[in-house]
Amino acid sequence: MSDIEQVFELAHVAGFPVATDRSYDAETHFWVLPIGPGRLRVGMDALGVETSGTLAQLSLEPVGTKRDRGEPLGRVEAAKFVGPLTCPVSGVVAAVNDAVLADAGLLERDPYGAGWLAEVEVDDVEDATAELVHGAHEVLAWFAAQVADYRLKGVIAE
Amino acid sequence: MAATAEPLRVIDFGEVSPLRSQTLWHAVAHGVSAGAPATLSFVRPAAPYVSIGYHRELGELDLDFCRQNDLPVMRRMVGGGPVYLDPGQLFFQIALPVSQVPASRHRALADLLAPAVEAFRAVGVPANLDEHLEITVGGAKVCGHGAGQIGEAVVVCGNVIETFDHARATAILSLGEDRLRDEVLRLMRRHVRATPLDVDGFRAAAVRGYANALGRQPQPGELTAVETAALAELDAQFCDPAWVGGTPRPAHPARQVKVRAGVWAFSVAEGDTRVVASVRDGRLDRAWLSDPGLNGSTVSAQRAVRGLRLAEVGAALAAFGDPGQRLASAFAAADGRGCV
Repeated sequence: MSDIEQVFELAHVAGFPVATDRSYDAETHFWVLPIGPGRLRVGMDALGVETSGTLAQLSLEPVGTKRDRGEPLGRVEAAKFVGPLTCPVSGVVAAVNDAVLADAGLLERDPYGAGWLAEVEVDDVEDATAELVHGAHEVLAWFAAQVADYRLKGVIAE
Repeated sequence: MAATAEPLRVIDFGEVSPLRSQTLWHAVAHGVSAGAPATLSFVRPAAPYVSIGYHRELGELDLDFCRQNDLPVMRRMVGGGPVYLDPGQLFFQIALPVSQVPASRHRALADLLAPAVEAFRAVGVPANLDEHLEITVGGAKVCGHGAGQIGEAVVVCGNVIETFDHARATAILSLGEDRLRDEVLRLMRRHVRATPLDVDGFRAAAVRGYANALGRQPQPGELTAVETAALAELDAQFCDPAWVGGTPRPAHPARQVKVRAGVWAFSVAEGDTRVVASVRDGRLDRAWLSDPGLNGSTVSAQRAVRGLRLAEVGAALAAFGDPGQRLASAFAAADGRGCV
């Protein structure tokens, strides 16, 4: 597990926090943060957590597992519903967050910090994250549009 | 969920072995993931067995009791805890493409359990879907459920409890101490209710209800070639000790047993300090405390915490000095995650 300092700024969009220092998978609401050469930390954003409900259990693929973008990185259970944690990048699982495995609530309490899920080693960070939403301005615009869309569809409360 | 020209495939598998009562509907989910239409299926196990949720520990079960009573243990791919299943329960499953399910898990479950609730009502059972998404009558659970995404399909399954052996449902659990076992059985008897009903009527009403909810015409069907192949693989997988054993999970300091959403019991032992308690809607229902330092104030301490929220227990026990602190520490180990 990498020992990096968790210092980042959170913006708030319509009541939901969003960290603007990282990239996001627009479909699955997973974030990706470079933490070293060829190494990316992965987690779920606040909107993904909100739509999951109260988390009961998490499981993650073991270190050394190769994942393609879109494949399950693990599974999450909320309200007796087990769904995939989708890997936002292609690479090899290099670390998993034991703390979040022991206490899934950490993901709800601190989705951008202590509630990170795994670290993935990739061949090329730029290539691996090319399809993600980048940049503070773009991230905020995308996140705001997602919140508005989810509210329109009744996915989240007004 | 929008209307579509596709049918709602309906398959009644009838009475099958315990293994097939799990693998058949998992195979259907694989089929729906591969392009088969949304499917409502029914199945009844021909013999009793135990099913454990995807994330749960085998250690939650009294495996000796299961072996001695010829109760095979099956790990399912959907959520929830360990449950005792038998021929007195009719299982139903709705499987549909993930793209046709609301992104909110709560909303998806509510939408996909609502037709089952209507089916209960259609046969005279005044069922409700409560705020915890439990199907209840008078506050007691009458139908369990679990859900999950398997490939590109979402499946929600339920078990209509026509008869229920509360004692056996408790006996399959590894509970460690008699006090917890007694309390779980008491809660089980109070909060899980068998509901004899017109099964054919329920099935017919469920078909109508799910077809209407999904905007599809019901159409009898059978397994596809993809599903038949998946079934063979699932039969092998569900008998594989590695699958049944599951993935080891971090140890939890408390033994917590959920009886129905919002109703759970737990025990914690820290040295000579022990707590057994039950919680209902966030408040302590009953509590048994023991610590060598209580010196005759055990009953007072038990009274002091009754009816409190778990977060309030520490302050209430402060009046009992060091043993109170130790008991508060034991209470703090019970987080109820997954129980509410």
